[in-house]
Amino acid sequence: MNSIEEILWNYIDGNCSPEEQRIVSTLIAEDESYRLKYQELVALSNNLSEMELDEPSMAFTYNVMEGIRAEHALVPLKARVNKRIIMGIALFFSITLLALLVFILLNVKLPAHILPANSSLNFKIPDINSGKEKMIVQAFIFFDVVLGLYLLDGFLRRKADPKQA
Amino acid sequence: MGVTQWGVTSSESYRMQSKLSDIELIQQTLAGNQAAYADLVKRHQRFVFTLAMRFSKVREDAEEIAQDCFIKAYRSLASFQGQSKFSTWLYSIVYTTAMTFLRKKRVDTDSIDDESTYIQIENHASAYDVNNAENRSRSFYLDQAIAQLLPDDAAIITLFYKGEQSLEEIGKMMNMETNTVKVKLFRARQRLREKLERNLKHETKDLI
Repeated sequence: MNSIEEILWNYIDGNCSPEEQRIVSTLIAEDESYRLKYQELVALSNNLSEMELDEPSMAFTYNVMEGIRAEHALVPLKARVNKRIIMGIALFFSITLLALLVFILLNVKLPAHILPANSSLNFKIPDINSGKEKMIVQAFIFFDVVLGLYLLDGFLRRKADPKQA
Repeated sequence: MGVTQWGVTSSESYRMQSKLSDIELIQQTLAGNQAAYADLVKRHQRFVFTLAMRFSKVREDAEEIAQDCFIKAYRSLASFQGQSKFSTWLYSIVYTTAMTFLRKKRVDTDSIDDESTYIQIENHASAYDVNNAENRSRSFYLDQAIAQLLPDDAAIITLFYKGEQSLEEIGKMMNMETNTVKVKLFRARQRLREKLERNLKHETKDLI
């Protein structure tokens, strides 16, 4: 069973069926406790409807529009460029290059004397086992290894403590 | 005649603001007219600010929340489908932004549902207007009692009475069933009456 208050609030808010509305109207008219409570709740409801809204500062609208403007200014150029245009240009160049490549491969006829009958190519690999060259290669490899270890160390440190990165 | 920063004179802006509907202003904004959005802000800022005040209870914070809401709304204006009223859509942004703000602000372990959190505000309000009986009109007591309510209760009352929102719309906004909103509104009004009665009792004692 609903309390008197709940019934009356439903009545005031207009959430009652016509039948319920009729019953509550009769109760308000005939029952003193209903009538007093109804008057009290209606007064509160009216006060709530009439309550004043708070006013923000004078510069509120200006601040909002400034915020929007600042946000626009912060967007990097790459984010403002339409990606579809970039994709279109990339597609155009890819197709052109591919078509050009196919056209060249189909049309190029190498003269017979360029390719020897025995097609095994005879490259001469430089000899690095001798003195000075060997030392240069070893120093180069050593430098690469140190650089590699340094980068690996940095990577592992970042992974262990992401806040530091 | 003042010219606003957006190149629109204030009287022109006012005329535009009073004539166009929210949807028309949104369409103009989406077409690149930022002055139309400024008008939309002006139209809704008082209610959005009041709603934010119901959550934060501090003017500076409320202003920050309200500004944040309008910027968020601008950002996602294109996604507004017009299936609900613009105000309903905007107030749902206010609700989520304010809740996020409260969660961030709550650095200690106290729950926001803990009424003791608001005892300070109550004391502050009564201390602020000591012996200033002239100011204590009906609306003053009402504002004071609303400020003492929990954010959800205060927001539901404000949305229902001042936001021109139906129970269904409030439900959508707060992600609740209409019936739950109805029960919450009923309880919020009950608590409001209790606070009003308690405050008035204190005031009569003070005056005697």
